[in-house]
Amino acid sequence: MKLRILLADDHEIVRRGLRSLLEKHDGWEVCGEASDGREAIEKALQLTPDVVIVDIGMPNLNGLDTTRQLLQHDPHFKVIVLTITDSDQVIREALDAGARGFVLKSDAARDLVSAVEALQNKRMFFTPRVNDLVLAGFLEKGQTISRNEAPKLPTLTAREREITQLLAEGNSSKEVASLLNLSTKTVETHRSNIMRKLSFHSIRDLVVYAIKNNLIQIELPPPPKSPVGPTAA
Amino acid sequence: MAIRILLVDDHPIVRQGLKTLLEGRSGWEVIGEASDGAEAVEKAKVLSPDVMVLDVTMPRMNGLEACRVLRRQSPGLEILFVTQHDSPQMMREALEAGARGYVVKSNAARDLLAAVEAVSEHRVFTALNGRNVPGLS
Repeated sequence: MKLRILLADDHEIVRRGLRSLLEKHDGWEVCGEASDGREAIEKALQLTPDVVIVDIGMPNLNGLDTTRQLLQHDPHFKVIVLTITDSDQVIREALDAGARGFVLKSDAARDLVSAVEALQNKRMFFTPRVNDLVLAGFLEKGQTISRNEAPKLPTLTAREREITQLLAEGNSSKEVASLLNLSTKTVETHRSNIMRKLSFHSIRDLVVYAIKNNLIQIELPPPPKSPVGPTAA
Repeated sequence: MAIRILLVDDHPIVRQGLKTLLEGRSGWEVIGEASDGAEAVEKAKVLSPDVMVLDVTMPRMNGLEACRVLRRQSPGLEILFVTQHDSPQMMREALEAGARGYVVKSNAARDLLAAVEAVSEHRVFTALNGRNVPGLS
């Protein structure tokens, strides 16, 4: 019987690359694709894949919250998180969310097949950096991986995190309500609670918070070109 | 029409996705790949592609810098940016650097083939996410 894989990434071109890579492997098939976290959950529940590969930086519902929600639905889901960074904070959140594999997008062509094989054999797969951090945490006798990182999301519920992401992506309360099938009033209540819990007074604060906590990701432009001609002394 | 293409992106998985899309078109051939701007400049010199599909954000030498070098080095080469940056400002900078086309990565599956076709015929092709940029397309 074939191993069935669900791919979730907001870039179709990345999904094409991943599919092409995975389907070269005998006995594996990509049974479905999703372009955001919400669609990934719907398709995972419908298709019951053996492995779900989720990008962290997806719109509407990011990969970490997708992983959390999938495992709440069914703890047997095996999730590999794809990420552009292996910062301490992202690693810790992926582990907390219940991911069983963690692969850097830049290394996916090299590592993803190994990661899926590991999960197929009931093992986990992490990058060497994750292994180092986990070991360091163990050697520090259960100290957390990094105590100097930015604050996590200790006070927000899963629903509040979803709403925070959607607001930070530029959606109005009405749009969030429509996306989540809630009333606008309910979303407004969540929004007030979020702002109160985090002591924020503006959407700008919320956007900064969402970026710092990997609810949304942005790509910075390259540095400006060097000035031409004489420079001021 | 046969088109020889050089793919430049620091993520192999993105190159793989672009390659499967481009090679689905009869006569189009991906003749090489590079993972940063400096390698792109070197490979363009050796392989003389018709079109370069170029990312913006890359290590060592970014796509804009590479584009400026390539404009001088390979004047016949047409350059198409495929980038995460859904930004009119970045698009203008890319065209000023000498590119003929600009496509946002999230729409690449939709826009790439038309964009490569256009730039290979020396026409400008620019598309941001769901909006046109006056004066640019």
